[in-house]
This record gives sequence, structure tokens and C-alpha cells, in this order.
Amino acid sequence: MAFTCRRSRRPARPLPKESRKLLVCVCTATLLLAHCSKPASSSSEVTIEHEISPEPARVGPVVITLRLADSVAKAITGAHIMLEGDMSHAGMAPVFGEAKEIAPGRYQASLTLEMPGDWVILLHVTMPGGQKLERQIDVKGVRPN
Amino acid sequence: MNPSSIPALDDPESLPFDLMEVPGLGRLLRWRYARPLLQAPLLIVSIVMILHGLFGPTLAPKNLATTLSWLHFRGVLLLVLLCAGNFFCLACPFMLVRQAARHLFKPRFDWPRVLRNKWLSVALFVLILFAYELFDLWSSPWWTAWLIIAYFLTVLVVDGFFKHASFCKFVCPIGQFNFVASTLSPLEVKVRDQDVCTSCQTKDCIRGRRDTASDLVVIRGCELALFQPRKVGNMDCTFCLDCVHACPHDNVGILSRLPGTELLTDPLRSGIGYFSHRKDIAALAIVFTFGALLNAFGMVSPVYAVEGWLGRMLHVSHEAPVLGIIFAFFLILEPVLLLGLAAWSTLALGGTRRALLPLMVRYTYGLVPMGFGMWLAHYGFHFLTGLYTILPVTQSALLRLGLPLLGEPRWTLVGLPSRIVLVIEIGFLLLGLAGSLVVSYGLAETDSPRKPMLAFVPWAAVSLILWSASMWLMFQPMEMRATMMGG
Repeated sequence: MAFTCRRSRRPARPLPKESRKLLVCVCTATLLLAHCSKPASSSSEVTIEHEISPEPARVGPVVITLRLADSVAKAITGAHIMLEGDMSHAGMAPVFGEAKEIAPGRYQASLTLEMPGDWVILLHVTMPGGQKLERQIDVKGVRPN
Repeated sequence: MNPSSIPALDDPESLPFDLMEVPGLGRLLRWRYARPLLQAPLLIVSIVMILHGLFGPTLAPKNLATTLSWLHFRGVLLLVLLCAGNFFCLACPFMLVRQAARHLFKPRFDWPRVLRNKWLSVALFVLILFAYELFDLWSSPWWTAWLIIAYFLTVLVVDGFFKHASFCKFVCPIGQFNFVASTLSPLEVKVRDQDVCTSCQTKDCIRGRRDTASDLVVIRGCELALFQPRKVGNMDCTFCLDCVHACPHDNVGILSRLPGTELLTDPLRSGIGYFSHRKDIAALAIVFTFGALLNAFGMVSPVYAVEGWLGRMLHVSHEAPVLGIIFAFFLILEPVLLLGLAAWSTLALGGTRRALLPLMVRYTYGLVPMGFGMWLAHYGFHFLTGLYTILPVTQSALLRLGLPLLGEPRWTLVGLPSRIVLVIEIGFLLLGLAGSLVVSYGLAETDSPRKPMLAFVPWAAVSLILWSASMWLMFQPMEMRATMMGG
């Protein structure tokens, strides 16, 4: 099948100068804004492993166990960890908890997730030396009871 | 409506309330720069939302873009529409940017004739509802910021090329939402005395006021082609007050009225035509009404069961086609079935002379109050249960800037308890049902004067079905997930 390009008898009317200026401005603004990317999460030499029980998480109390280690996999003891559970939608009541060290480098906290859906648990960690760091744990699809 | 029921203007007891007569406020609104004054704060808030959305915390409850957009803006918008009128369009920040841009770029083109209807805006309205579910806009400050940016850019492009208020009248999905909802508002921009308009020679309210020496327009007339003396109701009115400022006789006010009355009558409306002939506006009313239920359905537990089941049936793991089927069911199949059946029943029982499709179009407007009730219940819930969250989010944003003006964020501040808000939700839904029943009966009285009750019953049944579905939705456990197909 052959495709033919139909030519209009009338020459195409060029865009007025002001309209071209507007297009250029809009395109420039879009490109500039598109350059703004999501901020990358900060890296740290501290590794935090986590376990949540029950798995998969359900509405109600959940136990979060954390394991803190430094860059050479040595357990970090004496850290202070506050937990904050938020839903992925704005306007929902957050839940708070504090982790206790149950073994060297192992911390445990309990949170009560009050609604099914996606939760995000923020860890506010104060290291033994006073250094502060924040980590985020995504708890997807908390199921209804 | 019986003309004798319209109150006489010479009876001071029957004169409607006029917002323009309120001391101070009326003077402010008559001021030529009242609109930019109201728009400027919203523009600043929009810029803050964009910046915080792009560069602030990625978690939605901690970000101003998501908190303000999906909690406060939607809730306040609906409550203002319910209690007053379309004042958001008056203070629309997008129009302030457009107005500034028009000093640099003069639009040259007329909006294409083929697009001079609501079909494009209906499609965009559906697209926004679809994108909201597919991309979980409520959980993404970044995408929310981009949505606001896209809005600003679209306004600039559309109104940069096309004359008048093409964006507001034919494109803006938020505007169309406001137009439909404001048919139920208690205030309306309206002429005070028709006799003054009859004797008016200049018609500045539509043509604009011209400078006598240069003959240039110094105060523009209505950009949405609403000629005040023949304007009926709030459809297509952005409350921009151009007509108020242009009228040389100070004969345009913001008058009170019985909400919803414009849905009962079918006169020739300036800039619109007859409601009963406008299938596009009826489609907008359908998306408004059934979209209210669909939008709420996307946030309750059963939606995940439905999506999972559909995914397994169709052997698809991507959300878009499954969501497409749910949208087609809610916005096409369900309305066609319900409204078609009701129209057919009315034809069979009520003895009306209209054909099936015009009858469906006519009665569709009767469902608008139910839709409004559902939007109010849903967005009112988020707004009221998250009412105070704006404070800790603002505190946190200021703190990040190194400006602890409001102190440490108090994340425990949330909002009203759900058990109280639930009562308010039920109230909104009952109000919506009552409004739909009243409007549907009014339509039945006009259309089938001999058997109004028989013509009314099928539409009452549709309203009751929608109300029951809304109530069921309100009592479902809320479940907000970004991973719908995840199981």
C-alpha cells in the first residue's frame, strides 16, 4: 500500500511571532522544571535490617525488629530509635513507638497499625555518638483483620 | 416554575440577599483589582506547593503539595460551593498567571467551533480521575506538584493562543466540576433589576466598557459569553465579576436563591442554550455524579478484591486495563443501564412526549445533588479528619528551611474523630438524596403534568440506588494502597 502526502493548496500560515514566543517560553519552563528530580535518599554507612511480624502485616499490633550494624557489620549498641508509622495518604493519624534494645545491636518496637493499606514506618535513630539519621520502611498492603 | 411564585422586586421583604450590599465586602468586590487581590495568595500557595512537592519530603503526609491538594483544597472548595458559590474560580491562581502572560502574548485565534462544548473537558475530567487512581497521585508529592505545573502550562498555552476564557469554558476540568456543583450553591451572579437591562443601550456586561475617546475596551465584559440579562444560574459562571465591574448601572449583584432551582427549569440560557439539548453537559453531570462514587470506591477494601478478580480473569498484571474496565463500568455501563431503564419506565408510565434520549438528558440533571452529596461526604471526610495536619506539615516545612517560626512539628495534631465526621457524612448524603428527589419530582411535574408521581418513581429509584451505594461505600473499611494488583 502506498501512502501519499496530500498537500494543501494554501500555504500553511506561520504562527504569529507572539505565539512562537509563548511556545518557546512554555517549552523552556517545562525543560527547566523537568530537570528537578526526586531527591535521592541519603546514603549512610549504617545498615538497618528489619523484620515485621506478622508477615504479611495486618491491622492491629505489629512487632518490628531492627538490626543495626556499622560498615564492617559490627552491631551498634546503645542507639535510641523512635518509630513513626504513617499512611501513604495525608490526613491520617500517625502512630508512634520506641524501640528497646533486646540484644546487642537488636532492637524491637511495637506499633498498632489502625487501618489497612500502605504504611510507611519512619525510623528516627540517634546513634550512641549523638549522630542522627532517618530511615524509611515501606509496609505495603497491610491487610484488614 | 410558576412565574407568579417569583417574588416581586418592589416588595422589600422578598428581595434576595445581595453579597455586594454587605458593608466593606461589597466595596472590596466592586474594586477593579479585587480578583487579583484574591488570586495572589492562592498563587503564592500554589508556588509553595510546587516547590515543596518537588524538593520537599517524599512522604505524602509530610508534604504541603499532597496535604493541601488532597485534603484542604478539595474540602474547602466543596464547602464553599455548598455554602456560597463558585468563589474558587474567582480566586483561581491560574488565571492570574494567564492575565499577566496576556500582557506579553495577545491571543489571536478563536477556539475551534468543533470544540465549543464540554466533551473535551469531560474527557479531561475522566482522565484526571483515572490518573489519580493509576498513579496514586494522593501518595506522591512529586506527581502532585507536576499536576499543578501541568495546569499552569496548559492555561498558558490554551489562553495564550485562543481568545476569551477558552480554558475556563471548554478545557478546565476543575472549572467544569465547579460549574456543575455550583448549580446547587445558594449564591448567583445576577442582575438586580431586569428593567434596567432592558433600557441599557451599551450592554457593557458582555461587550466590555469602552473608553469614549479611544473606543478601546477598558473593562472587559463576560469572557464566557454569558449575557447577564439572559443568564440563568451558575453554569459556566466563574464569578470573575467582570460583569459587575463593567455594568455602568451597578445592576449586577451576587444574589441569594434557592439552591438547585436552575436544574428544575429549562429556559434558553445565555452562552449555553437549553440544558435539555446539551448532551455534553448531561455527560458532564453523569461523570460528576457517578464519578463521585467511583472516586470513593477506589479507596475502600472491596476495590482490591474486584481488581484482583478482574486481573485473574483477564490474565493481566498491569493495573491500567483493569482500572479501565472499572471506569467503563462506573461511568458508562452503570449510567446507561440505570438511566436508560428509568427513562424507559418514565416513558411507559408517565406519558411524557419526549423521546428516550432527550428524556435521559433531561432527568440526568436531577442526579447532580446526589453526586454533590457524595463528593461532600468523601472529601469532607478527608478534610475534617485531617483538618489540623496543615499545621505540623507547615511547621516541618519551615523547620527544613531553618525558620522554626511555628516551633517543632506536632505530628499528633490530626483532625476531628471519625465517629463525628461519619455523622456529618451521612448528613451530606441525606441532603444529596433529598435534593435529587426534589429536583427529579420538579422535572416530573413539568414533563408529565398529568402523572408526575409515575414519572418520578423510576428516577427516585435511581437516586435511592445511588444513595444506598454511597452509604455502603461510607461504611466500608478505608484502605489506601498504591499497589492495587499486588494481591
